[in-house]
Amino acid sequence: MCDIIWCKKEVGGKPCDTINYLDPYCFWNWEGKINCAECGTVYYIHMIQGFMYIGPEERPGEEPDIMPLYADKPFDGYSNYRPGVEGRTRPYECKPRAQLKGVADMVKFSIRGRPVRGWRPQPPSAGLAGSFAFNWDIQKLSPEVWEEYQKKLAAGEVKDW
Amino acid sequence: MAKDPRVTNIEDLPGPKSKGEMEEWKMPYEEYCKKIFDVGNEHAKPRPLKGIKWLSCTMYIFTPHSVANLAELGAECIKIEMPRMGDAMRHTSPFNECYLYPLHDTRPMTGTGLGFTNANPNKYFITMDYHIPEMVEIFYGLVKKFDGLTELYRPGTLDKWKMSYRYLSEINPRFIYVWGGGFGYGPKIFGGSYDILGQAHAGLASISGMHEFMGGHCTKQTNWVIDWQSSNLITASILAAIHHRRKTNLGTMIEFSQVQVPTRMLGHTTTMYGKFGIVRQRWGNWDTQLAVHGIILCGKSDFPDAENPQDKFDARYAMVSAFQDADFKELCAITGMKELYEKYKAHKDRVEGEAQVEIYSALERWAADKSRSEVCKILNNAGLLAEPVRNDREVYESPHYRERGTVRWLDDPLFGDMLLHAGYSSGLMEKSPRRINWHWRPVGADNKKVYNEMLGIPLSKIQEWYDKAYI
Repeated sequence: MCDIIWCKKEVGGKPCDTINYLDPYCFWNWEGKINCAECGTVYYIHMIQGFMYIGPEERPGEEPDIMPLYADKPFDGYSNYRPGVEGRTRPYECKPRAQLKGVADMVKFSIRGRPVRGWRPQPPSAGLAGSFAFNWDIQKLSPEVWEEYQKKLAAGEVKDW
Repeated sequence: MAKDPRVTNIEDLPGPKSKGEMEEWKMPYEEYCKKIFDVGNEHAKPRPLKGIKWLSCTMYIFTPHSVANLAELGAECIKIEMPRMGDAMRHTSPFNECYLYPLHDTRPMTGTGLGFTNANPNKYFITMDYHIPEMVEIFYGLVKKFDGLTELYRPGTLDKWKMSYRYLSEINPRFIYVWGGGFGYGPKIFGGSYDILGQAHAGLASISGMHEFMGGHCTKQTNWVIDWQSSNLITASILAAIHHRRKTNLGTMIEFSQVQVPTRMLGHTTTMYGKFGIVRQRWGNWDTQLAVHGIILCGKSDFPDAENPQDKFDARYAMVSAFQDADFKELCAITGMKELYEKYKAHKDRVEGEAQVEIYSALERWAADKSRSEVCKILNNAGLLAEPVRNDREVYESPHYRERGTVRWLDDPLFGDMLLHAGYSSGLMEKSPRRINWHWRPVGADNKKVYNEMLGIPLSKIQEWYDKAYI
């Protein structure tokens, strides 16, 4: 789950009242300092298994280790800092984590030998605004796979189960 | 024929002439079931939820599956996704390998992962960026025409965007609104949830798996059972809300916290704590109420020469049941555990923890030189219940599932040959069965159908939105 730091620091005579969201991927087991996206107050936290074990405790004058991913102010019409606001929130580049950048296995036929659209690239839809019809015309769109399929049929490699 | 036309004689009616004859004419029950359920011919029968129209602003499994249930039952369901990206679950594929292409016209090298399976069949897929005020108006237009909506954003997010039940019920008082998410309102309102977190938070994981003295740990189900189960319960709530609306003509809001659901699956656990202060232990593959009634490890694999490690090494488990006194006596006789029978003749004795450890250990020693199928055969021949623990391949090859249509192949209109294993697993219905039309469609595949054909927006406008990435 995502925990938060609700910053109540007095700034200019009224509380900051900013909710800083702690992205669970980064904070599940984490110890360190994080800044408030609005007023910059640095808080120390220690999370174990997603549970806020220590903190948030103010650490004035210290540098944060990491920034929150997103922050908003519920008492100010939910004005917010989206990801990647310089000096306030963490950049979020929408990239898969390194260990997920493998090469996908491609398949053209299911285990019973019939065509399945498991390879790339595929031709685009040619429809309006990304719309697709309800028919995959394999003979027209992927003639080489169609030919391979005909050979499989002739060789008796296409089964019911 | 009777003289008085108001009198009906059974002899005058077609069909059997006596109760005995009626019994005689009846086809065997199995034949009767085969005929009325007519597996494989579901599409020739009416859709039970035809006429219901549902919007789905959902991601992952939990909330999409609650709408998939409606779509399988014949409701017209539209899933609204992020332009160009789609549901995050499309990018979640087991081991990053199993994709079907394409995802979207602009991303020919990206596919939809098989993690998307089962939670999205039969839906129509459109894209919309709610942050654009112009698109919020279009969203309101859909709300006017639809029966309900399921969403999963952080609590209050759609409220912030003026798209929550408070606002939508003013546009459409018959609207049924479902919020499904992690914790819901309460002390953890900011908490998001994943299935595994739900299993952990509600105490389900703490009673799953073997005890630590047996080398076990608290365990989560490999699959995301809480996601699937929670969504089934949401669908039950939706159907109840639709019925309520027939009586009152008013919609309703359903707020569904995912972490509540595992508490419902804990049986007597919490009540027992309330009564006695006992915190339940996990007991893994055995049973706390019945003995013998559990899974044992056999010594040899059924497929020692197989390439797949799941077959080669793992096909060694068997479920064994012999908790009745007579069955337990037979089990002990056949496995040479006569002294154990003498010791644990009464069920109340053998269901105790220490007794179970002794009995199951003895059973595993007996099975140490046998394969799983040998164990099952010996016990079945003795009239005892025993069943191998099957893997996916064996489920695929099971004649039982094939005959009932539980596992079957579908020629998906867009993606080709795909194996179905869940769409037809929710019970058979005679008159109006569930059916799968397609597994899923690419991101925005039905933009034209919905925006143009349903809402009457000109094609040029749709193209303009598309070019600006509003849709």
